[in-house]
Amino acid sequence: MYVLGIDIGSTASKAVAMTMDKKIYAKAVVSHGTGAIGPKQVYEKILSESKLEKSELKRILVTGYGRFVFDDADSQKSEISCHAKGVLYLSPDVRTIIDIGGQDVKAILLNDKGMITNFVMNDKCAAGTGRFLDNMAKVLNVKTHELGALSEHATEVVNISNTCTVFAESEVISQLSKNVSVENLIAGIHQSVAKRVSSLVYRNGIVKEVALSGGVALNKGVVKALSEALKLEIIVHEDCQFSGALGAALFALEEIGQK
Amino acid sequence: MSEVKEVKPKRELPLSRIMVNEQTAQVYAEAWAASEKGEPIGWSTAIFPQELCETFGVPLVYPENNAASISAKKLGEPFIEHAEGHMRYPINICSYARLNLGMADKIIEPGWEKVEPAMPVPTFLCLANNSCTQLMKWYENLSRNLNIPIFFMDCLYNYDEEEPAPHKIKYLKKQLENNIKKMEVLFNKKFDWDKFLEVQKRSQINRKLFNEIVALNARKPSPMNGFDLFNYMSCLVLCRGKASTTRIFEQLKREIEAHIQNGTSTYGSTPEAYRVHWEGIACWPNLGFNLKTLRKYGVNCVMNGYVTAWDVAYEPGDLEGMAKAYQCSSTNSFSTSSIMDMRTKSIEAFGCEGMLCHVNRSCKLMTFHIFVGRDMIEEKAKIPSTNFDGDQSDTRVFSEAQFETRLQGLVEIMKANKEAEL
Amino acid sequence: MKKIETLLDRFAFVANKPSAVMKVYLEEGKKIVGCFPVYTPQPLITASGMIPMGIWGGQITPTVAGKYNPIFTCSIMRSCLEYGMTGVYKGMSAVMMPMLCDTFRGMSSSWRAGVKEIPLIAFIHPQNRLDSGALDFMIEEYKSVLKRLEALSGVQVTNASLNAAIDLYNRKNAVMQTFNEVANDHLDIITPTVRHHVMKSATFLEVSETIQLVGELIALLKAQPIHKWTGHKLILTGITAEPEALLSLFEENKIAVVGDDLAQESRQYRTAYPAGEMAFERLASQWLNIKGCSMAYEEDSQSRGKMLVDMAKKQDADCIAVCLMRFCDVEEYDYPYISKATENAGLYSLCLEIDQSTQDNGQSRTKIQSYAEMAASLV
Repeated sequence: MYVLGIDIGSTASKAVAMTMDKKIYAKAVVSHGTGAIGPKQVYEKILSESKLEKSELKRILVTGYGRFVFDDADSQKSEISCHAKGVLYLSPDVRTIIDIGGQDVKAILLNDKGMITNFVMNDKCAAGTGRFLDNMAKVLNVKTHELGALSEHATEVVNISNTCTVFAESEVISQLSKNVSVENLIAGIHQSVAKRVSSLVYRNGIVKEVALSGGVALNKGVVKALSEALKLEIIVHEDCQFSGALGAALFALEEIGQK
Repeated sequence: MSEVKEVKPKRELPLSRIMVNEQTAQVYAEAWAASEKGEPIGWSTAIFPQELCETFGVPLVYPENNAASISAKKLGEPFIEHAEGHMRYPINICSYARLNLGMADKIIEPGWEKVEPAMPVPTFLCLANNSCTQLMKWYENLSRNLNIPIFFMDCLYNYDEEEPAPHKIKYLKKQLENNIKKMEVLFNKKFDWDKFLEVQKRSQINRKLFNEIVALNARKPSPMNGFDLFNYMSCLVLCRGKASTTRIFEQLKREIEAHIQNGTSTYGSTPEAYRVHWEGIACWPNLGFNLKTLRKYGVNCVMNGYVTAWDVAYEPGDLEGMAKAYQCSSTNSFSTSSIMDMRTKSIEAFGCEGMLCHVNRSCKLMTFHIFVGRDMIEEKAKIPSTNFDGDQSDTRVFSEAQFETRLQGLVEIMKANKEAEL
Repeated sequence: MKKIETLLDRFAFVANKPSAVMKVYLEEGKKIVGCFPVYTPQPLITASGMIPMGIWGGQITPTVAGKYNPIFTCSIMRSCLEYGMTGVYKGMSAVMMPMLCDTFRGMSSSWRAGVKEIPLIAFIHPQNRLDSGALDFMIEEYKSVLKRLEALSGVQVTNASLNAAIDLYNRKNAVMQTFNEVANDHLDIITPTVRHHVMKSATFLEVSETIQLVGELIALLKAQPIHKWTGHKLILTGITAEPEALLSLFEENKIAVVGDDLAQESRQYRTAYPAGEMAFERLASQWLNIKGCSMAYEEDSQSRGKMLVDMAKKQDADCIAVCLMRFCDVEEYDYPYISKATENAGLYSLCLEIDQSTQDNGQSRTKIQSYAEMAASLV
């Protein structure tokens, strides 16, 4: 038997199937978030790729923004709890978790037993989020997932002072018209995200080790900029994008254990 | 903005500006000297009756003025970040406050690296809320974070009259008297009423001189780039009651009169094509860009509503008159229709053809006046106005592209108006 | 229970439909004075024979208000102006507005420009409250407010009639405080939403009606067996905790509200008018006695933090939720120290953004659920 954890975010849906002895059995991601398509797609994808039957799933736990709209779920939990659980599973020494999702940035502080003691989330504003990066990528005519690699070719970091998406767009456009290289601009955009995020992290407090999770963690440019802004090493696990879904699966296991 | 050509006049700093810089340096030096001797040193809001501390001979420095200087040098960001991050201040509060609260937390750390102009750690605070009520919350926070007392002058907002009612003046006067008594205790000094009278006289000489200077800019074309007024305003903030300010203003007046005689202007060689009234505090970090762009379109902001805030007029020796003057000093202390009446007069006096309004994220009150006053200006002064988004310290809300587009729009309307007149 | 339900329905109706309540008052030939938040001298209105009704805007996305309000105006003032400009407050004889913050200073001009048919009675509280001139000033300021009220109502207020009105308000304050205490023994009935209905309706109903209805509710609750609440307990602070969808998130997560410092709710009821002969002095002294409020300058700068922590400890709450009204600068300046005082006392600190112009509660939902999960895991 297995359990399934699904993380329905604002821009992507992730799923992790886990064995009863806490091993990752399968994982899947689709680039649609909450709504009609994303949750259904990721559910079908993980079932077909892992050849699992619905009957083999003992419990399904859902997290993320779309956690209330998935019909096959047995229960749901907040993404704060799930991210914390998932990140700890991947990197047990972590005490500070920074999660940059499509529309939210979260900073979570854990105690030495791995329990959450404090968390903060961004203001209702796209600055510093995945959506901000998506918008900037569009302006620069590149794909969001290419941003990280492109920024590695930057020769300098262009200062992008605006955090408001609309103003930052016009700032980027005006820089482009000055023939500033796209790579240097991307480095500037990453730095702007890092500044916003680090401010939130400072607000919550920092204890080592620090891990980054969420889809934006896959962007090496952001990781570098954030590491510079916080002046410390940041752990990024290769499965960091799945930490929410992983945590959900782990909670599903706990819930069976309790029953 | 590569197309903007630099047309900066190639001039050395005029003597008056050098004198301003020296005076400012002197103010900070006196504050540091007192601090090192363990004597009282205060941080004060910009329109507090500084005549009191001047009489006591106790030095003051001014966080608003300091934040403006630091911002103009583009050095404010680390303090603002510290306030928003470690200290948890929301991004929506005044950026001067964020900058200063962040700085106040940094300078108490041993061995912090000074950012000039650096203020010493204060031992007391002077607060007057005539500019806004956020000042009150800002100083409350300073007092809490630094554990120091506040001398508070509660200057009441004149919500529907230009002449404050007698009970309001009575309350202000009482506070003046009580603050003098409290200062006598904290400073362990008797208040010298004779010296006070001298300081009051000096303050009046200085403010009158400044008014005369500002009025000179009504000439067409103006002998001054209107933004220059921002540079000299600091004399009234920092040294309203000092003879050194008189000397600076006398020198400045001579310089301007020479410009008038020679047909020159500090605006530079570009012809002054349009005369505009600027509303609001400067965008200090973007001042250079704003100036450059204004010059590109031949716009001189010959007058602004902000520089007259230190026109604190009273008869020396009249404590009640002084109380009233501080209640009416800041244009922010009046209702929109009163302010717009003042603006209309000044638009007429200075021959302004348009109004450029800074929707300043940090200054809610001025922005309210801009929104509500727009119709009044267009109706009473019959000139077009335009708004742009910005901030006095926070670079994150100003957009160069938006500023230029809005300015260009205003210029096009002013041009059409001019052509229609011909 | 039947009678309790009937009463609670009445509170819910009043809280959600103040315009219907106003219509009835107007039909009865009464005059209404709208009261902007907060600390308006309502005994003056009652003594002049009129009815004070709270003005709290509503959950709307303003459109016309944008002409006179910058976008960074708090949503409550934007919706109030919108309602004023679109005729929702039509029928009020005047509105009263205290100049407690910069937004109010600006709003006084916005109101005059946008809502010409409802006169504005602006007034200002002295903030240097310990100064020896503050009391005299407040008295004179209230006297000038009274002159305007008397002109509207034609009723001459005497020292005796004002004293009687003040006594009535003291009774209202007392009854609201008693409700707060009794409610905590019946958290199964007095859910966060119900509690809010009772509190908010008290800002709309005639003072004697509030005393009557809340008094009845208290008596009925006391007749019920005490309920032992096993969920989480939390204290709310801020300007308002709205909309109801936000409060239902507490209910979904088995969280009870056991105390509040909300400007719309208990904050305005916790300071009694002192006893005395001179009515104006009693009225004015109350303002000087207010403690722990973001809108009242205080020399003890730790006062609100201490008060909140004490409230939480007394009510056995483990969390203080700051309901931070977006763009409310007075609250934003208090937030850092309140949240730190909360954490230093070993309590959870939650920050919920309040914005009337959006229906999106997604972020608050996550925060509240996470707090509940976090608190449960640490028990």
